[in-house]
Amino acid sequence: MNKIKTLADLKRMQENVKSKVSLRDKASRAEDLVQVKVAMATCGIASGAKEVMEFFVVELDKRGIEAVVTQTGCMGYCFAEPTVEITLKDKDPVVFGYVDTKKADEIIEKYIKDGEFVDGIIPRNYETIK
Amino acid sequence: MVDLAMHMMDIVQNSIRAEAKNIEIEFLENNDDFTLSFSVKDDGSGMSELTVKKLSDPFFTSRTTRKVGLGIPFLKMTSEQTGGSVEIKSGLGSGTEIIANYRTNHPDCIPLGDLGGYLTLLFSANPEINISFIYQLDNENFEISTQMLLEEGIDDLSNAEMMQAIKSFINENLKELFTKRNKTGFLC
Repeated sequence: MNKIKTLADLKRMQENVKSKVSLRDKASRAEDLVQVKVAMATCGIASGAKEVMEFFVVELDKRGIEAVVTQTGCMGYCFAEPTVEITLKDKDPVVFGYVDTKKADEIIEKYIKDGEFVDGIIPRNYETIK
Repeated sequence: MVDLAMHMMDIVQNSIRAEAKNIEIEFLENNDDFTLSFSVKDDGSGMSELTVKKLSDPFFTSRTTRKVGLGIPFLKMTSEQTGGSVEIKSGLGSGTEIIANYRTNHPDCIPLGDLGGYLTLLFSANPEINISFIYQLDNENFEISTQMLLEEGIDDLSNAEMMQAIKSFINENLKELFTKRNKTGFLC
């Protein structure tokens, strides 16, 4: 990618992006999209949550998956940082621990694309079986 | 925390949790005196005097998910290890300002890190908050804010390509600004 240095470069880039986005279908209702929340508190930041978040942003876009990647606070699993919570459409949120870029790749390919669970899930939402 | 950009992300998260609408991030570097002051000011809920006193205690946190809170103690540690200090000004309902002072000619001064990358993530994840960033080096500065980007018609802040562009825009401009340092400290 060319180096972007001036505000004019940035504006040109925006026009480019706008024309591309309008070509794509916008199914953009937030709850229909894949939601990725990266824990970004002291513990997450110190263990590399930024690299993981950047990876999700870039790779989901590259692989054509419409998603919202955002930040959340500490979920209380500081030992397993970086942690990521993923909510697929009509499914309960799932929290993954020890996510580095390699794990993130596995999560995208298996869980987000096919709904297949991968190692490293932190059981968070227990539901009582009646 | 390995670098100042990580601290920035960490401290700004506190402002976001305090429901701030405007967050001002400032880096004031004085190259002649070898000082760097890093501050985050918000208009969030603020804290009482008692809470401010407890802040540097690592076993104090307002969270319920865990029992430790290391953000401020780490900031205090990295600034004090260079001979600097941390100041906190806050009042209930009147927002908070945190200032961390660093001495950049001390070998323990931590690097700045990827400011552009962290800022871009902040812009994209918090479109409803006006985040402004300024890096002042002696008489020159570089500024960017959510408002400024929106005024220029740049509003796809969470688009992957735009995020890479904004990151590159910030980092390239900072790189140029840093070439104007005439003395070399340990800040990099």
